[in-house]
Amino acid sequence: MKTLAFIVSFAMGALLFYGTLEMPEWGDPGSPASSHVSPHYITHAVEDMATPNIVTAVLGDYRGYDTMGETAVIFSAGIACIFLLKRRRKRKK
Amino acid sequence: MLDFIVGKYNYWFYIILMVVGFYAIIGKRNLVKKIIGLNIFQTAIILFYVSISSKKGATLPILEHHGGHGEHAAIDVASYLNPLPHVLMLTAIVVMVATLGVALAILIKIYKRYKTLEEDEIVEFMKCEASK
Repeated sequence: MKTLAFIVSFAMGALLFYGTLEMPEWGDPGSPASSHVSPHYITHAVEDMATPNIVTAVLGDYRGYDTMGETAVIFSAGIACIFLLKRRRKRKK
Repeated sequence: MLDFIVGKYNYWFYIILMVVGFYAIIGKRNLVKKIIGLNIFQTAIILFYVSISSKKGATLPILEHHGGHGEHAAIDVASYLNPLPHVLMLTAIVVMVATLGVALAILIKIYKRYKTLEEDEIVEFMKCEASK
């Protein structure tokens, strides 16, 4: 069982290593991740949202509904923890 | 060859971290160790995304010289990091904390019910209960 797990994880590591051969180099300014959408956000964030911190502008303004749904995730996780850990009171009559 | 190693070695470290986490998830029997492995896995993914966003010689995505409405100085895109992976990983960190909390709460319930956290012992206990 342990050897099977080791073999599977090693195979996954080898596949991922094969995948990195096509990845852009570290710190490449023209990499695909930073050449399609993100220049628009970097150049327009101050005009659109008047926030110099672009991460905050994207998180709170462009993706505001996503952040609101995230608070729902946190709320439901907290509620789940409360219901799981709640002690039932034994009533003594 | 050296350029190749210098350009890609960060991904290899994240792959090692991710494989360690994956092995802990599928190979370990203790449930707490499985959860630790899950967190290592998620941390590797977060590091991977943050390293995607890096640009050589760039600074944090906080704009300098803002607020001057009259002048529209051209913003050099190459001098600021890519902000989008950072935003995504903020969301991922929040989800990671939520899952960790719920998983630990479930573990407490499992320990109260079966008095053990080893997976095979729990399975054996459940089989004994089912055969009764």
